[in-house]
Amino acid sequence: MNSKGKGKTWIFAAAFLLASFGVAAAQESAPTAATTEAVQVEAVDAQAATAPVTEATTPPETAAPGEAAGAPVSVEIDGNTTINNGGTIKIKGQAPAGKPVFLEVWAESHNVRANRFDKDPDPQTGVRPYIFYLTEHMPAYFKIFAPTTMQDKIDAEKKKGNKWSMSNIIKELGADSAFNVPAEAPIKAYQSSFVASIIGSRGELLSDAPDPRRSMQLTKARFRDLDKVVGAQINLQPDGSFTAEIPMRSGIAPGEYRIVAHVDQATKSAPITFTNTTNFPTVYLTNAGTSMNLIYPFILTLAVTMFGVLMGAGGGFILNPLLVTLFPMLPHTIVAGTVTPTVLFSQGSGIYNYSRINFISWKLGIGIGLAMLAGGFIGPKLTEMITLAQFKSAFGWILLVLAGLMFWQTTPGYLANNKKEQAILKEFKKRAEEAAAKK
Amino acid sequence: MKVEFWGQEFKVNMFVGCIGGFLIAVLSSMFGFGGGPFMVPLMTVFLRLPMYLVVGSSLLAIFFNTTMSTMRHYQFGNFDWILFCAMFPAAILAGFIGPRIARRLSPIVVKRVACVGLLILAMSLLGVF
Repeated sequence: MNSKGKGKTWIFAAAFLLASFGVAAAQESAPTAATTEAVQVEAVDAQAATAPVTEATTPPETAAPGEAAGAPVSVEIDGNTTINNGGTIKIKGQAPAGKPVFLEVWAESHNVRANRFDKDPDPQTGVRPYIFYLTEHMPAYFKIFAPTTMQDKIDAEKKKGNKWSMSNIIKELGADSAFNVPAEAPIKAYQSSFVASIIGSRGELLSDAPDPRRSMQLTKARFRDLDKVVGAQINLQPDGSFTAEIPMRSGIAPGEYRIVAHVDQATKSAPITFTNTTNFPTVYLTNAGTSMNLIYPFILTLAVTMFGVLMGAGGGFILNPLLVTLFPMLPHTIVAGTVTPTVLFSQGSGIYNYSRINFISWKLGIGIGLAMLAGGFIGPKLTEMITLAQFKSAFGWILLVLAGLMFWQTTPGYLANNKKEQAILKEFKKRAEEAAAKK
Repeated sequence: MKVEFWGQEFKVNMFVGCIGGFLIAVLSSMFGFGGGPFMVPLMTVFLRLPMYLVVGSSLLAIFFNTTMSTMRHYQFGNFDWILFCAMFPAAILAGFIGPRIARRLSPIVVKRVACVGLLILAMSLLGVF
């Protein structure tokens, strides 16, 4: 028992060291003093908004900042323009009285990928389209802020659970004018087919152009939670002046962010800018599109892989579901694609050790390996085609099977048989090692 | 197919082996795990091969799958270098520490703990609680 205790002490010591390192690093990353700078902007689309139809002679260029007659919308940052891994941005502005105002906020510096596999039957024809939509130009952060009076509409949409729809909430809020940046992103549409899946292709490219309707679906596919894309934060006064404290969550991309205030299609403010910074060990993951404290995945991988070594299964079984559960902003495609190569090294060193004592049947290994090569060619494409919910529930069933296997390996019948097998294994391994030593 | 290994000859039903290996490879590359715990029972129970033949050869077969699926995930852009750099050293470190602890623990106890842990994790993934 003493030796067991020693092992535990080891783990605790390692965990303590890592944890204390994490705390020290967190203290270093105290928010930097941000310069107070207010940016005053004026309406850009003043011409379209204010020019009467009859006055066709008015030159459009007269609507320069500062002299726009009526100045439909203005917005400025009231306070810090720099936040550190999230924070609050204070906004004040002026809009025409009696009209709702929406703030469109997005990350200007970083784009991420969003994809969605459309296999829902068409409501009219019942035909399943099987089209794979993909964009590389979804902003890493996108959110529409609405007046606080519209909170009930957001709550109503939230009641639908996973079935919420971006297009529906935008329609309910009347915020069509504020959905622009994702709508401008070119979207690749691929016609998937069974044959294309077999040969590991995404399918035939149908189009590569912006598509506002699809971009709303992709926005949901990317951000998943309604709270991440809409919020009711604007205090709108009857005279049209407004203030807002915009909460920026932690884990968002570093760099420049833009805010534009929208009243309707023709009336919007010029963009204003603020900056988000991150400090090591919080690092922005370019492909995952989220900032993350790297200490956490390190500790998690260490603990899980160690346990994987003990139970005789690679860590991937536990690491994948834990990563997608604990870090919801990591796309499951990235998780699966990044965990896979981490086991390559240990597999390679295992093969090297066995091959050194000539303990591998190359014929058998390569024979089945070729079939697995084909499987490994197809699998990664299927990852993109399923949603996170499907990923999780499929993984749930896989783990149930694995738990069954583990249980079977502790039953008396298996243990008795395994004892014999292990004895033979040891005997053969000894012979192999001796033979290798002789050479 | 006949396989010779350390002076003994084994008949291997490659049809079952390849179909099973293919299915395990699709699942494991799709969900990003190794597949060893499924490959070993496939080869011992369904192909009736002895453990000493299976340990090395199953690892070789899985290595094919992992290499290919790594390349494919990379090709589809589903790979993040920074996240990899955070996890890879931890996996290597665990590979060194793990076996040292394993010697001091009873494998049956570890497997029972794993069994319960996996059940809990599976239930939470399936949304039971």
